[in-house]
Order: sequence, then C-alpha cells, then structure tokens
Amino acid sequence: MSWDALSQASHWDEKTREVVLDRVHNVPPIRFFTPEEARTLRAFCDVVMGQEGEPRVEVLNYVDQKLFEGRLDGFQYADMPDDRDVWRLVARDLDEEAGGSYADAPPEQQRAICGLFADGRLEWELPVDKAWKVVTRAILSCFYAHPYAWNEIGFPGPAYPRGYAALGMDGREQWEPRG
Amino acid sequence: MKPRANDSAFLLDPHRRGVPGLERMRRYGDDDEVDMLIVGCGAGGGVLAQRLARRGWRVVVLEEGPFWDPDRDWVSDEAGSHELYWTRKRIIGGNDPVEMGKNNSGRGVGGSMTHFAGYVPRFHPSDFETHTRDGVGADWPISYWDLKPHYEELERELPVAGQHWPWGDPHRYPHGPHPVGGAAEAAWRGARDCGIEMRMGPVAITNGQFGNRPHCIYRGFCLEGCKVNAKASPLITHVPDALEHGVEVRADSMAVRVELDESSGRVTGVTYIQEGRERFQRATAVAVAGYSIETPRLLLNSTSSRFPNGLANNNDQVGRYLMVQGATQLAGRFPQKLRMYKAPPPEISSEQFYETDESRGFARGFSIQTVSPLPIGWAEHVIAEGHWGQDLREHMRDYNHWSVLGTLCELLPLPENRVTLADELDDYGMPVARVDYTQCDNDRANIAFAKGVLREIWENAGAEEIFAIDRYAHLVGGCRMGFTPEDSVVDSDHRAWEVPNLFIPDGSVCPTQGSANPALTIMALASRLAERLDRGQIRASAPGAVLSR
Repeated sequence: MSWDALSQASHWDEKTREVVLDRVHNVPPIRFFTPEEARTLRAFCDVVMGQEGEPRVEVLNYVDQKLFEGRLDGFQYADMPDDRDVWRLVARDLDEEAGGSYADAPPEQQRAICGLFADGRLEWELPVDKAWKVVTRAILSCFYAHPYAWNEIGFPGPAYPRGYAALGMDGREQWEPRG
Repeated sequence: MKPRANDSAFLLDPHRRGVPGLERMRRYGDDDEVDMLIVGCGAGGGVLAQRLARRGWRVVVLEEGPFWDPDRDWVSDEAGSHELYWTRKRIIGGNDPVEMGKNNSGRGVGGSMTHFAGYVPRFHPSDFETHTRDGVGADWPISYWDLKPHYEELERELPVAGQHWPWGDPHRYPHGPHPVGGAAEAAWRGARDCGIEMRMGPVAITNGQFGNRPHCIYRGFCLEGCKVNAKASPLITHVPDALEHGVEVRADSMAVRVELDESSGRVTGVTYIQEGRERFQRATAVAVAGYSIETPRLLLNSTSSRFPNGLANNNDQVGRYLMVQGATQLAGRFPQKLRMYKAPPPEISSEQFYETDESRGFARGFSIQTVSPLPIGWAEHVIAEGHWGQDLREHMRDYNHWSVLGTLCELLPLPENRVTLADELDDYGMPVARVDYTQCDNDRANIAFAKGVLREIWENAGAEEIFAIDRYAHLVGGCRMGFTPEDSVVDSDHRAWEVPNLFIPDGSVCPTQGSANPALTIMALASRLAERLDRGQIRASAPGAVLSR
C-alpha cells in the first residue's frame, strides 16, 4: 500500500490524533467474550470482512470493547434481545452450524455458513436477518474506523484543521491519495 | 447581515470553538423558582431559552448530555463521534421499525443539530393544511404565515446559505450558495437531464465570516460535529447569547419527572438526576423540549392521581402520531473520482415533488438531497446490497467513484405510530421508551415512486451501477398541537390542554412533517412561542390559573 493515512497525522488536530492513534496502537484486550466465543467470532469477523492476510484489523477486539463498555447504538428490535446477548447467541449458533467450533471449520464451510447467515437462511431462535444486521453494523463500524481500511479505499481520514480546496470531479489535493 | 436580537456569533472566541465565559454563567439554586424551566437544550429548548432571556425571563435549561467544547470533545473521525448520539436503549417495534441512535437522536448542549447534516428548508404553506387540501394527515392550528417572520429571523441567525428558493413560499437566503463537490456535480447533471430542477442549499453553514464563526473548510464531517464552528447548532447559534442574558444551562442533568401540585393542577418543577443524586428544580412554568421520543417518555413517566396515565395524557394523546420520513438512498457509480467525503454532505436539493400530484397515485410527496456518507456509512450501503467478504472489500475499494442521493418522503401521521413505556428500566431507574412504527399504503406508494425518480436521475447521469438502501430519517410528532384536547396534547400556543403552565416547544408538536428536514421549523416554533409568552398573548382560558411571571 503506497499511501498511508497515518503519514498525515501531523496535520490532524490533537484530539483526533489522540483518538485515532490510540485505536491503532492500543488494540483493546478481549474482556467481554469468553475465550471460546472470541475464537469463533474472530474467525467469523474475518470471514465477513474477507481478512485473509496482513495487515489485518483486529475487528473483534474493537467489537468486544464496545460491548464491554456498553457503548451500544441506542435501539433494540422488540423481538430481539440486547445486542450483547445477540453476539453471544450468534457465537453459539455459528458453532452449532459448524458442528464444533466455527473457527476450526474449513474456510469453504465458514464462508458457506456466513452466506446462509447473510441471506437469512438459517433456522435459529433469533430472527436471523436482524441478527445479521446487529453483528455486521458493529463489524463494519470497527473495520472502517481503522486507517488500514482507509488506505485501502482511498479515504484520507481526518481533515481538521486542513480541510479541502479541490472539490470538483476528479479534483485532488496535492497530498491526497490517488486511489 | 447581523441578526436583530442575537449576538451569539459575536460572543464566540475567534480562536477557540468552545462557548466562552462558562465560569461566569449565572447559577440558580434548586429552591429558586425560575420563570421557565426548560428540559433539553436542542433546537427547541435552546431557542426558547435565548428568546425568553432576552426579554428578561429567569431561565434554567436541564440537559442530559454534556456542555460540548468542540476543540476538546469532538473529533474529525466517524467512529470517534459516538458520544454525540442519544444511545440509551429504545425498543423498536411495529411492522416497519425505525432504527434510532446516530440516525436521528442527539444529546448534549446543541441537541441533534450538533450532528445533523445541515439542511434547513422551511416547511411549505401546504404542510399546515394537508387535511383540507389533500384529505390526509392533519391541519395545524397555526399557518405558515404565523411562522414566516420567525423563519426569516432564524435564517439570519444560523445563517443559511443557498440559492434563491423557488418552492413553497419562494424566498432568498442571507448567504450565497457554497461551491459543490464532484459527487453533487454528478447528481446535478443527471437531474438536469431528466428535467428535475435542483438548487444549492439551503444549509446552515456560514459562507464567509459571520461574527467570530469562520468560513466552512469543506472537510465533510458535518455529521460528526462541526469542529470549525461553521455549521450551526444551538450550541453556537443561541446558547452564547442565552448565557449573556442570564440563562443557566445545567448540563449532565437528566430530567426524570415533571412534578405536579395535585390541588392546583399546575406543575411545580422537575425532578432530575445529576451525578447520581436526585434533585428538584422549582419553576413557575415548565417547557419540555426533549424531542419526539424523550418528551413523551418524560410525560408518560410523570404520573399522579390527576394523571394516572402520564402528565397531560388523560385523552391518550401523548406519544401518538410519531412521524419519520422515508429516507431511501440510491447511489450511482461513475468512472470519474468523485471523492464524496469532500465538501459538506448537504449540497444540492430539490422540492419539485413536494406537493400532491394526483397523477402519481398517492397524496403528498418527497424531496431529494445529496447525502455523501463517510466510509462506515457507505459500508452499510454496500452490505445492504448483499456484499460481504472479499466482495465487500472489492466494492469498498471503489468508494471514491460513488455519489449518493437521498429522498425525504412525507409519511403520514398515524395514531398507532407511537411512543409508550417498556417494562425495562434504564440506569436512572426510568422505563425505556418503546417506539412502534408501521407504514400505511400511501407511505409505501410514496417511497416506491421516489425511488423510481432517483433511479431515473442516476440512469440519466450515466451511472454504471446503482445501489439502493431503505431507511428513515428525522423525527417529529408524538405530542402534537391541535384544535381540541381530544385530538392533541397541546394547543396552538404549545400549552398542554390539561396543564396550564406546561409547554412543549419542540418537534413533537408537529401535526405533519412535509418533506423538509425539521430543524428550522422546530426553531421557528420555539421562537414564536417565546414571542407570544412574552407579549402575554397566551390565552388564559385553560383550566387552572393564568400563567404569571
């Protein structure tokens, strides 16, 4: 990856720099999930995000932090349990689908189960379509919060106090990624 | 163009974003009987406080969230902005549940305007009489013309930038339009090609220096709290002037009950929790401005023998007729790099489809606006199309080629779309709100038609691929104003029919919503209420005593 959002950190305001660099350098420990749940869900997060090699984002650690600290999103579907319980139930049900730990299933089987989950075609106690929304909302917000992900999509990251001047179609600041 | 009676922009510090002089803010004791105790420091509460203080009223505002300092508290980062949203649990039900949180609910001084996109259109004159004109929704007990002078004044105070506005009641804006980015250029081209007129604005973002508020820097983080002080929210547009005129904004204070004197039937103040301690602030009158979920929730939780089903709710109207707008978004992919993260997400909009057109087969209409999500928001679009794994990553790598348009469809007010209390309690020991929402046939027809129009725009613009995501935006209703105690919670002066010194100056009073973003209208309603309160124009015919200061 030739362009690195972190290379611009000296142009960010102090507070933003503190928050983003802390996210990158201090990956939070697993405190909410049990080791077994964490193993299953780490594998699942990597399948959802297609993370097969380095650099990878420790998505599950950020999800765990959010759940551990109770920083939830402000709503719960009437026919669903609390988001924290949804995550535990999803871990249990993924293992059940895999006939053992989901983490130990071959990659093709992991992807097949994920595909059925995404299409709402699993027979779970939980409403599967809503469970998919709950877990992917957290996974996406943790993955695309990371500068590695910004580099991949050509998003330059924080933009205060510098801002932008080249606004038009195909417009690019001299320091912006080409992607 | 200086506002007539609001120095907020000039009271801010030119080199720091936080509101200056907090250490000099007037403080009241819990036993001081203030003239007006306001719950919630957002669009409604912030404006009401500033207006009344200017006229010599002694005002305290209780706000659940913090007194934000944009330098200290806000970040130029999507995930880091979680604290701006009201994220206490709400149970969502009905056939078409409405997701809450970052989508539509704010907290802290400034309310949800701290993270709103910035669009501030006026309602159209027709919005105030949809029942008479179109046989749907409800008529308001006031008209557009009652709000017009307040719209004009607030447009100077925010201030609003945009082109001459040809729709509704045509008008101009005090600031000229902002330049548009590549994403909006693509959308505009498509709209022009299929005969749809779009205009730049109207946005509450300074275009040029305004007092000590700087020019917008086009960094695109409007929904994450404006660190520049260019985008308006009551935190910078009304609170500084309110403090200058003696208002106390008591942050980190959660109102849990409005208390009633059973013998007189008047409210006496508000019980609130601050740093884990329960306290009670006395007041001559109370204004609840917690927005469409928290206002009904607070009233429903304030029970007494006079009001066993919640304050001012003996006619079972509190919490009903909650509204959201159908906010389906369609995205188009282009060969050029559009970099939609640049420039404010609110750029151009159209109200060409706002009014009823019988040939469309449904009543009322919709507006069209650019939205421009940042990466996390955009990823939600991509996964909604069924992409996950490597396929999701591949589509996300294309981020800079996409542009997103959103609709705001006017969904109709229905009695069963309502806020009630769930069994579960929150950290304050207060029952959490349950919000039920189900669309009617007219709503579904409106959303489907609007989607078709957006698709036509992208096809005409030459989009190579199109994504669609169904969602909702905004909240109004839940304590509507009306003509009788049987059809509404408050009268045309925002006063509870059943409680003479209880007022609701927020978006929950709206009987209809049009296809306009509600912020400016909420502010205008609060501004009008303040004027009428101060002139003694509020009728004294309601039960109980006359409102006195």
